[in-house]
Amino acid sequence: MSADLDPAIGRTEELVVEAREAQRSRRPGSLQRVGDHLKREWQLYVMLIPTVLWLLIFLYKPMYGLQIAFKDYSIFRGVAGSPWIGFEHFQTLFGNDQFLRALKNTIIISFYGLLFGFPMPILLALMFNEILNQTFKKSAQTIVYLPHFVSSVIIAGIVITAFSPSAGIVNTIMGWFGIEPIYFLTKPEWFRPIFVGTGVWQEAGFQSIVYLAAIAGVSPTLYESAVVDGASRWQMMWKITIPSILPTIIIMLIIRIGNMLEVSFEMIILLYQPATYETADVVNTFIYRQGIQGGQYDLAAAAGLFNAVVAFVLVMTANTISKRYSRTSLW
Amino acid sequence: MSGVRLDGIVKAYGSVQVVHGIDLEVKEQEFVVLVGPSGCGKSTTLRMIAGLEEISDGDLTIDGRTVNRVAPKDRDVAMVFQNYALYPHLNVADNIAFGLRIRKESKEKIASSVEEVGGILGLTPYLERRPADLSGGQRQRVAMGRAIVRRPKVFLFDEPLSNLDAKLRTQMRAEIKRLHKRLGVTSIYVTHDQVEAMTLADRIVVMHDGRIEQIGSPMELFLNPANTFVAGFLGSPPMNMVTAMVASGDQGPVAEFDGQRIQLKPIPSLQNSVGEKVTLGIRPEFVNVGDQSDPRRVKVDVDLVETLGSEALIHANLQGAPFVIRTDTVGQMHVLDGISGFTIEPHLVKVFDAETGQTLPGQVLEQ
Repeated sequence: MSADLDPAIGRTEELVVEAREAQRSRRPGSLQRVGDHLKREWQLYVMLIPTVLWLLIFLYKPMYGLQIAFKDYSIFRGVAGSPWIGFEHFQTLFGNDQFLRALKNTIIISFYGLLFGFPMPILLALMFNEILNQTFKKSAQTIVYLPHFVSSVIIAGIVITAFSPSAGIVNTIMGWFGIEPIYFLTKPEWFRPIFVGTGVWQEAGFQSIVYLAAIAGVSPTLYESAVVDGASRWQMMWKITIPSILPTIIIMLIIRIGNMLEVSFEMIILLYQPATYETADVVNTFIYRQGIQGGQYDLAAAAGLFNAVVAFVLVMTANTISKRYSRTSLW
Repeated sequence: MSGVRLDGIVKAYGSVQVVHGIDLEVKEQEFVVLVGPSGCGKSTTLRMIAGLEEISDGDLTIDGRTVNRVAPKDRDVAMVFQNYALYPHLNVADNIAFGLRIRKESKEKIASSVEEVGGILGLTPYLERRPADLSGGQRQRVAMGRAIVRRPKVFLFDEPLSNLDAKLRTQMRAEIKRLHKRLGVTSIYVTHDQVEAMTLADRIVVMHDGRIEQIGSPMELFLNPANTFVAGFLGSPPMNMVTAMVASGDQGPVAEFDGQRIQLKPIPSLQNSVGEKVTLGIRPEFVNVGDQSDPRRVKVDVDLVETLGSEALIHANLQGAPFVIRTDTVGQMHVLDGISGFTIEPHLVKVFDAETGQTLPGQVLEQ
């Protein structure tokens, strides 16, 4: 067929442009698309409102006060009226031995918490998963979940009583072996093990629920297939259960790393005393003493902001590393 | 002899018995399909053979050895599951090698076995991929690779094609058949799809309510169903059932219903059944619609004609119940619109006892 007979031949490019234009004119704009989406899914957004309000009121509005970390704050002049002083408070903090000690303690306690506290719920979940007797399994789970529901004050009371030099069970047992009683809670070297141990005891059981839920999500046919292949229970745990719950473990690890500097503040306050400040004082207790008790709100705000920035960097780094090497990430 | 023998196999959960004493012998290299509706006990039976369910009573023998109390790993069986059971964190090669690694085979043997199986199943280009990056058919092939790599004595398939779409299922069905021919391993296959059963099996075991209804080759079961359940289960569309009364006709016994009659094959059991109620089984493909002027024709009310290319399905009503006719379209298109009845050769009408549903003796159709 000659090109003269069909006017479309040789106009391909023009026709494509025309078609694209026509398509574009038919496609709704982005604003219209958002509008359509809101109209269609408005119920979901209504349900979201309380959470957004909570975040705005309790987490975002207080951020306005963060600026006092860079100001010479006076409660009489208010946040807006106080003069800017730049990074002076941060310089003061890093020249303050107490803050540096608190920072060091925070890092050490957090590291121990991560080292001993993070694997424990995973181990507990794996152990619970292997228990075949349902009655025993439920009883054991209840026992290890229980401390989570007990107030920190009572937990601290139990710990103080247990480690008491006069009537505490620990010193009583040590006495049976002829060991002299030790007043553990006044000894700086004992504070960290007791604190970390208490945290593990209180939370490991409850935290294991997340891993038990992840294990429950593993398809039973994977195990059946492995049984037919000849795998033992131990091999199934290593080769199926743990790899299957690895994404959950990584997510929990990222969250944990993000909260690393948030050492259980109230438990430290309840357990520490001036004699153990050397190993027990952490950034949060330092902020409490300086800010609330000492009235240095601006300095405390600077310490708090530093804490938050470090936590942010930690969580970003952990997430990026995890995304790169394990395909699992928070976002 | 890598055969499998089930003697009076029973499965009970507490007081509830779900498999009631199954007797079955699967010969070496045979491909046997257990087929039946959901809940008939076919998967439970297969799982008992695999060792995933305890046997409540009876004896299970594999390769001449009673294995009731033998652990699954020591039965030398391999199983392919409906949802593939692939390890999501392992790539294809590691999935295939899993069983060999568990058995602590040498690295060289594992590598060569994986390569060989990958080649057989066309998985060589995908060995480094994870299951999530594979299509349904490829995943199913990996699952089969995991089974064949160990060179077991018996393959067990638990509805392995159920998660695939119709086209892929047909393709994989052929692959399983080819694989069985190539490897010659005794295979027991569970499905609820009678087409899979008909196309794959050397012998079909039809199960219902925890019991075996009939065992035989696909054509034996198709042509000579032992009862109305088997007759209705095998064949697509299923066999039409018509309730009728046996009467004496000029040329032997006839079946009468709604003022119509069908000539029956003169078998001795029918001579004694005159006046008794029977169920007639009429295969949709055995009826003839070519001569609509035949006075012997059975009249039906045609509801719908579906033309499928080379054949057509005629949906009609008889006795107020659906009655389906399958016929060739070639040379018959002119007839399809004017169908009002059908004729059938007497020996092609199956007669079942109306009460027990069992086929009356003496009506074996040769293949």
